[in-house]
Amino acid sequence: MPKLDRLPEVNRNALLTFPAPVNDGAPCSPLAKPLSACRVALVTTAGLHMRGDVAFVSGDQSYRVIPSATPGGEILQSHSSIGFDHVPFQRDMNVTFPVDRLRELADRGTIGSLATNFYSFMGAQRGWDRIQSETAPAVAKALLADGVDAVFLTPT
Amino acid sequence: MIARVLEAAGLCTTSISLVREHTEKIKPPRALFVPFPFGSALGRPNDPDLQHRVIRAALDLLSQPAGPVLRDFPDDESGTEPAAPVQASAVAAAMDGADVAMETTQMRRYHEQWAERTGRTTVGLTGIAPARFRGVIRFLEALADGSEADMRERPPDVPLPVYIRRCVDDLKAMYYEARMTMKPEASGEDIARWFWGETALAQLVRRVKDRMEAAEDPAMKGAAFGIAR
Repeated sequence: MPKLDRLPEVNRNALLTFPAPVNDGAPCSPLAKPLSACRVALVTTAGLHMRGDVAFVSGDQSYRVIPSATPGGEILQSHSSIGFDHVPFQRDMNVTFPVDRLRELADRGTIGSLATNFYSFMGAQRGWDRIQSETAPAVAKALLADGVDAVFLTPT
Repeated sequence: MIARVLEAAGLCTTSISLVREHTEKIKPPRALFVPFPFGSALGRPNDPDLQHRVIRAALDLLSQPAGPVLRDFPDDESGTEPAAPVQASAVAAAMDGADVAMETTQMRRYHEQWAERTGRTTVGLTGIAPARFRGVIRFLEALADGSEADMRERPPDVPLPVYIRRCVDDLKAMYYEARMTMKPEASGEDIARWFWGETALAQLVRRVKDRMEAAEDPAMKGAAFGIAR
């Protein structure tokens, strides 16, 4: 976002009153190998899913699997909030979910390989209990089982 | 929040942050704050160079052994797009009484060109093909007239207010993508102003929203806010 002092008041206030949880410190798993040898996954909170998969609803703490080889035309966004502009995503999925860019990096050898599956959660959450206790740990487990080293997370 | 869980499980993570103030509190292990609005986390559509620079800056953070690390992407790239889209209430409707079904059929032709040219479409939340959107329009018209309408395509586990919103989202996505065929250079704001100001569908959506807002069911009232405001 642009700096908050440059936003219209209604948008600034919505962000300032958002109940972001306050954490102390951060867990850390340092990268054990060079990026060029890493298997990389994409995880987004933009409410994306495959066409025909169950759409997200507001506050949905579940996740969807999106195979990394899925063509762009098969990916939909059910985070349909009118609070953000959907035109950029309609024009180019990579502006939120940069699958093509990551594939280019893998082709160039900048990263080792792409994970078999990418994952999507719903955005604009106001509760995280299930994400923390259940769905994010399930995604972590699946990523580790796929041999993933590093994860790139993109928001709406 | 998700990055913290993944990192604690042994994965090395890096995130894009759109709201610095929230990221400072949540403290994901590594994050790159970018000056772009919601919906444009990687910069600009069809600008692979900028997208690559953002990704590179985010991936560079992976070499940081311990966090939280929160770095700024150089903000000379914030562009001119507004931070939030223009809403229905900010646009005066210039037309009234036009035939929505005819207009939808017209839009469908442009939309077909869009889908053909780009190889994708974001229409599809209802699973109803655009060729059958006239039925969706009849459904919305019945709702706007205050009738107890429903769609036989609505899955039993999808509540009516959620389904109404998906119908509107699919129609809007078709109109927006059609407009991008008609005016390839139009910005998101141009398209929103055109939609809310100049289309018959937007007038219908406003009427549906008014009905939903007046409903007693709180779920229906809540969904109204997501359709037009």
